[in-house]
Amino acid sequence: MGFIKEIMKNRQLYTLAIPGIVFLALFSYIPMFGHLIAFERFQPVKGIWGSEWVGLDNFKFFFGSQDWLRVTFNTVYLNALFLIFGIGIALLLAILINEATSTLLKKISQSLIFLPYFISWLVVSLMIMAFMSTDGLLNQWLGQLGISEVNWYQNAKLWPIILTLVYVWKFSGYYSVIFMAAIVGISNEYYESARIDGATRLQQILHITIPSIRSVIVVLLLLGVGRIFFGDFGMIYGIIGDNSILFPTTDVIDTYSFRALRQLGNFGMSSAVVLYQSIMGIAAILIFNKIAKKIDPESRLF
Amino acid sequence: MRTKKGIAAILSIIMLVGLLAACSGKTENNAPSASPDGAAAPEASTKLDPVTLKIMIPGDRPRDFDAVVAEAEKRMAGTLNVKLDVVFVPWADLAQKTQVTLSSGENIDLIFDAPWLHITQQIAAGSYAPLDDLLQQYGPNILKNRPQAMWDANKFDGKIMGIPNGITFVQGRVYYVRKDIREQLGIAPIQTYDDLMKFAYAVKEKVPNMTPMIPAGQDVTKGLSEASFRHYWKDNTANITPSPALSESLVLYTKNNDGKVYNLFDEMEPMVWSWIENSRKLYQDKIIHPDVLAIKDTGELAKQGKAAIIPNNDFGVKNDVQQALKSVDPNAEFEAVTLMNLDKGAVLTNALQYNFISVPAVSKNKERAIQFLDWANQKENYDLLAYGVEGKNWEAVGDDQYKFLNDGYTWFPFAWIWNPATDRQDAGQDDVTKQLNQWGADVNNFTLDKLAGFTFNNTAVVNEISQYTSIEAKYYTAMFNGVVEPNEYWAKFKAEAAPLAKKIQNELQKQIDAFLAAK
Repeated sequence: MGFIKEIMKNRQLYTLAIPGIVFLALFSYIPMFGHLIAFERFQPVKGIWGSEWVGLDNFKFFFGSQDWLRVTFNTVYLNALFLIFGIGIALLLAILINEATSTLLKKISQSLIFLPYFISWLVVSLMIMAFMSTDGLLNQWLGQLGISEVNWYQNAKLWPIILTLVYVWKFSGYYSVIFMAAIVGISNEYYESARIDGATRLQQILHITIPSIRSVIVVLLLLGVGRIFFGDFGMIYGIIGDNSILFPTTDVIDTYSFRALRQLGNFGMSSAVVLYQSIMGIAAILIFNKIAKKIDPESRLF
Repeated sequence: MRTKKGIAAILSIIMLVGLLAACSGKTENNAPSASPDGAAAPEASTKLDPVTLKIMIPGDRPRDFDAVVAEAEKRMAGTLNVKLDVVFVPWADLAQKTQVTLSSGENIDLIFDAPWLHITQQIAAGSYAPLDDLLQQYGPNILKNRPQAMWDANKFDGKIMGIPNGITFVQGRVYYVRKDIREQLGIAPIQTYDDLMKFAYAVKEKVPNMTPMIPAGQDVTKGLSEASFRHYWKDNTANITPSPALSESLVLYTKNNDGKVYNLFDEMEPMVWSWIENSRKLYQDKIIHPDVLAIKDTGELAKQGKAAIIPNNDFGVKNDVQQALKSVDPNAEFEAVTLMNLDKGAVLTNALQYNFISVPAVSKNKERAIQFLDWANQKENYDLLAYGVEGKNWEAVGDDQYKFLNDGYTWFPFAWIWNPATDRQDAGQDDVTKQLNQWGADVNNFTLDKLAGFTFNNTAVVNEISQYTSIEAKYYTAMFNGVVEPNEYWAKFKAEAAPLAKKIQNELQKQIDAFLAAK
C-alpha cells in the first residue's frame, strides 16, 4: 500500500519520469532478451524462439583464439588511459578557465576546446593521416629540426599515446563543461572566507573547488568504468582501420570481433561477444562502486 | 500550484510524444507500401492488380531516375500494372542495411546480393526464395538472355537463388599506369611485369613527390595487395587461385584445375613465395608506399596524382578516376595495363557472377517481381532502365554501344538487369578496352573450372573460419605488401593459423569430393 500511496502523493514527479522509464524499457530492457541469441544458431526468419539452441558454441570462436586476452587487455588499458587523462585534463581545463577573470576569454576558450567534440572520427582519421603519414606534416617539421623521420603508422608502441592525445583533444572540452557547471554551483561564501583567512588561489583550488565537485568526478568515472570493456569502435576502426602492424597495441574487442565476423554476418557470435562485454562491464561497475563507497559514501552510484 | 501541475503534465506529454515520434514515424512509412502488397497477394498473377514493387539496390539515385520510372510505369500500365519503389543504398552502408532489412523481415520484393556481400549466408539463413519454377513460368527473357553455362555455374545447392547479373566470365584485372609520366621518362608501353618494375624504379629515381606504386593494404581488398595480385598474370601458368572457402586468400588455393585444395602451410608454393619476397624488396626500395597498410582508399591518392601505379579491377580506366586526375593536372593520364593471359583456354573461369538479384522469402509479390524483371530484360525496356530516356540521357551508337549525353542518369544495370544479350558497351572506351571486354564476355575463350557451380557450405567450420580470418588479418596484407620480414612473419602466422586452416581445408576437400562425385 505504501508504494501506491507514495506514487499518488508525488504523481506529478512520477508523470515527469514516465518518458524516461518508457525510453529505458524500450531501448534498454526489452533488447536484453536479444542476449538469448548468444546461445543459439540464430536464423532471423525463425526468430529468437524458433532458432536452434547450441549452448556455448558461439563463444568458442572468441575464447578459443589466443588473442582474446590481448584484445581484452587492450580494451581495458586504452579505455583506462582515455578515462584517466580525459577526465584529468578536463578537470584541469575547467579549473583554469574558471580562474580566468575576463569573461570574453572564458567564452572563447570554452568554445574552442569544445569544438573538436563535433568532428566525426572519419574526419579526425583523415587529419591524423595528413599529419602523421611518412611524408606528412609532422615528419616535415621533424626534418626541419634535423630529426630523422618516424614511421608513425609502422610503430605500434606509440599508438596508445597517440590515441590518448586524440581522445583528450576530442573529449576534454566536453567533460570540462560538465565540471564547469559543477564549479559554478559552489557557493562564493567559501571562497570569500578562505580569502579572508589568507588562502592562496592554489589552496582555494585544492581545498574548496576539487573537494566540492568530488562526487561529479566520481560519477563520471563510474559511468566510464561501466563501458570500460566496450572499445570505441568508431574511433579505433576509423583511425587504425585494418593496419595490422598496429594491432598488438590497438586491437580492441570490438574491432577484433568485427574483423572476425564481418564476412560471416553471424548474429549468434556477435551477441556472444557483446554478452561477454556486458558481464565484464557489470563486474567492473560493482567493484568500482564498492571502492567508491569505501572512499566517499556520498558519491557512489548505488 | 495549479499552473505548476499543468506545466508538469504538458511537459511530460511533450516528452512522451517526442520519444515515441521516432517509433511511430517508422510505422507510418510502412503503412502505405504494406496495404497494396497485402491486397494483391495471392491472385496477383492472374488478375494483375496494380502492385508496387519495393526494390533495394546499391548506389546513388540518379537525378533523372523519377522520369525513367514514370516512363517505365507508363509502358507497364494496363499490362503488368507495376509501380516501382526503388531504394538506393549507399555503397558504404550496403552490407549492413541489406542485412538488417532481410533479418527484420521487412517487405522487400527484389534485393541485390552478391557472393562478395552475403548471398551464401543469406541463402543458408533462408532469406531468399528459390526461383527455378518462377523463372520457368514467368521469366523466359531472363532465361534466354543468359547462356546456359552461366545458369549452371550460379546455382546454390542446385537451385537458382538469385538471377546472375553480369556479362563476363572473368573479371578484368589491370594496373593503372601514369601514361604521361611513362612517356616523359621515355619508356615503351608496358607489356610484362619486368617492364612495370623498370617503370616503377625509374619513377622512384626521377620523379620527386610521387609514390611509384600503391597496392591495397586493407584486409577487405587483400586481393589487390601486391603479391596477391600477381596470381592474375600470365606467368601463373598453374592457375594458382584462392579456394572457394576463404575469399581472396591464397593460403588455401587450387591449381592446375585438378579439383584439389592446396595449403600453403603444408608446403610453400615457390611461385607465391617469390611474389612475397619480391614485394618485400619493393617495400624496402621504397617503391611501395611506406604507409600502404594505413591508406584506406588507393583511388583517392591516384586521383590526387600521387601514385604512378595502382592495381585495379575491371578493364579500362574508370571515368571518375581519369576525370579527377585531369582536374588536378590536365596533362596527366592513366592507362590500364593488363598482364593477363589472353590465349584461348589459358584462363580458368568458374563462370560465377559478381552480382545477383534475389527475391526475399517474405515478399508477397514473387510472381510479379519476376514478371517485372522479365519485362526489363526485353531490349527496349532494358535500354530505358539501363541508360535512361533515349535522346535525353543517352544515344545509341550502332546496335551495341551507347553514349551518355549528360550526367542525369548513371550506369547501374549490374544491380538488377545486366546480361550479355542486351548489354551495350560504352562508346567512349578505347578500342583495347572494348576488345578486352568482348574477350571476357565469350565463354569459349576460357577453360571451365572443375569447381564451376560449387559453393562452399561453411556451417561445419564457422568457428574455425571466424578465428582464422581474424588471425589472417594480422599477417596477410602486411606480408603480401612486403611491410614485414617474410620468414619471421610466416613462421608466426603458421604457428597460429595452421591447425585452423587444416580443418577448413579438410572440410572444403570433403565437400568438393562429394560435388565432383555427383557430377
